[in-house]
Amino acid sequence: MKRHLYLLIALIGLSFASCKVEKITAVNEGTKDLTGTWKVVQATRNGTDLIPLYDFTQFTLKFDAKSQSYTLANPLPFIVGADGKYALDDPQYPFKLTFTASGGTPVTTAFNYPIVAGSRAIILTFSPGCTLNTYVYTFTKK
Amino acid sequence: MKTTLHIKGRNLWILCTLVVLGIALSCCYTIIVSVDQPATAVVGSTVNIVVNVKNSCNSSGTAHFVFGFLAPKGWKTSQNAKITWASTKGNGNMVLIPSTTLAPNSNGLSWPDYMKATFGNVGNLIDDVEWVAYQTDAPINYANGDKITGTVNITFSNIGADGNPTSVKLGYVIANDQNGFTFDGNDGDSSPTSEYYNELVTSCFQLTGGTGDLVDFCNPQLTTINPPKSLDNDLVTITYNDNVTHTTLAGSTAVYLCATATLSDGSKVNVCSQTAKTMLTQTSANSGIYQLTFWPKSFFGTTPGQTVVSMTYYITDKAGTVQVGYGNTAAAFTYKFKCS
Repeated sequence: MKRHLYLLIALIGLSFASCKVEKITAVNEGTKDLTGTWKVVQATRNGTDLIPLYDFTQFTLKFDAKSQSYTLANPLPFIVGADGKYALDDPQYPFKLTFTASGGTPVTTAFNYPIVAGSRAIILTFSPGCTLNTYVYTFTKK
Repeated sequence: MKTTLHIKGRNLWILCTLVVLGIALSCCYTIIVSVDQPATAVVGSTVNIVVNVKNSCNSSGTAHFVFGFLAPKGWKTSQNAKITWASTKGNGNMVLIPSTTLAPNSNGLSWPDYMKATFGNVGNLIDDVEWVAYQTDAPINYANGDKITGTVNITFSNIGADGNPTSVKLGYVIANDQNGFTFDGNDGDSSPTSEYYNELVTSCFQLTGGTGDLVDFCNPQLTTINPPKSLDNDLVTITYNDNVTHTTLAGSTAVYLCATATLSDGSKVNVCSQTAKTMLTQTSANSGIYQLTFWPKSFFGTTPGQTVVSMTYYITDKAGTVQVGYGNTAAAFTYKFKCS
């Protein structure tokens, strides 16, 4: 009987000793790094597909996260018409992207950054001319 | 165990017959009987329109009546039209349906989008018209067999707010907020388009006067520009339709834009070389429809301080010797870059 008691005490002791507080550390969401050269793969104007109608192949948008600057090559109607600086409202969870062309005023647009066919895309919606007309450009990295 | 239903008794047979007849003769309809609308008006004036409606259903219930009105976007209907309703069930104002309200049976569309998806532009050839959706400011209770007649009364102030003389087909739709644009076939002699909703499109309404250019939604034009309202920093698509009338360009595989822009500083820029830059390509072989999409700022080579205010243009052949102008005449087409 006494032997069984010792065994029971030992088992209880072991069970307590086996308990360990596990510390869960939150996984940090990575910052959204836009660095690179982006090209237009889809473009619509008021819902009409513009790709068959206009040559978008020469236009590129280059972001440099270090200098927080962007450059346009072979510009076409876009949120901004000249090179300048850009900023995300939140580097980890961005909802807005602001372009400030050199000598211009900041222009903010909704930032959509989905993964399409295994690679990141940037979808931007804006009205470069008449505000009644809405353009949606989808960019992927070159 | 097999059970056989034996209907016995004369009264029971009569009752069944009446039920069957009741279903067959049940009648539900919603009809726009007529629209009292002037044939013409002057830009900036006030126009009164009366839409005569009747409704009946062999069931009871409660619903808001929905009214849709299609007019050019530039008229700003939601701001300039005051609409009331009067009927054998009462009267009141028609109020705008918020864009967040989804129409029933519409797969998640707002009422204006549902109207656009169902009725389109009602035959207007330029996609610059809008459906504006209203509903009665109070629900209407109706009993089985009620015959409701009523009017929707539109007082349209400052008609043609964009200042353009216009020729347009106006569209009217009446419905209710329970069924949407559906037809369930449960009711006897109604048709798919007059059971729970009905549409009426008028012949071309002429708006005269104004300081703008004529906008003709009714008749095919030799050239159209899309978007209809654009500025020089838009991508603009010009379409030339050689099927509208017989022109000297008939049978061309490609035609060319010969345009002169007037800039904000008063200077003029002429682009009239027959090159890839000015070429309108045929949409498909022998279609007779040619298109060119261009960026006016780049096309006319403006400097940062300049904007393109307007342009006059011709459509030419490859040699540039044959020119087609407005209405197939020697006069140039004109287009003003504007946003309202």
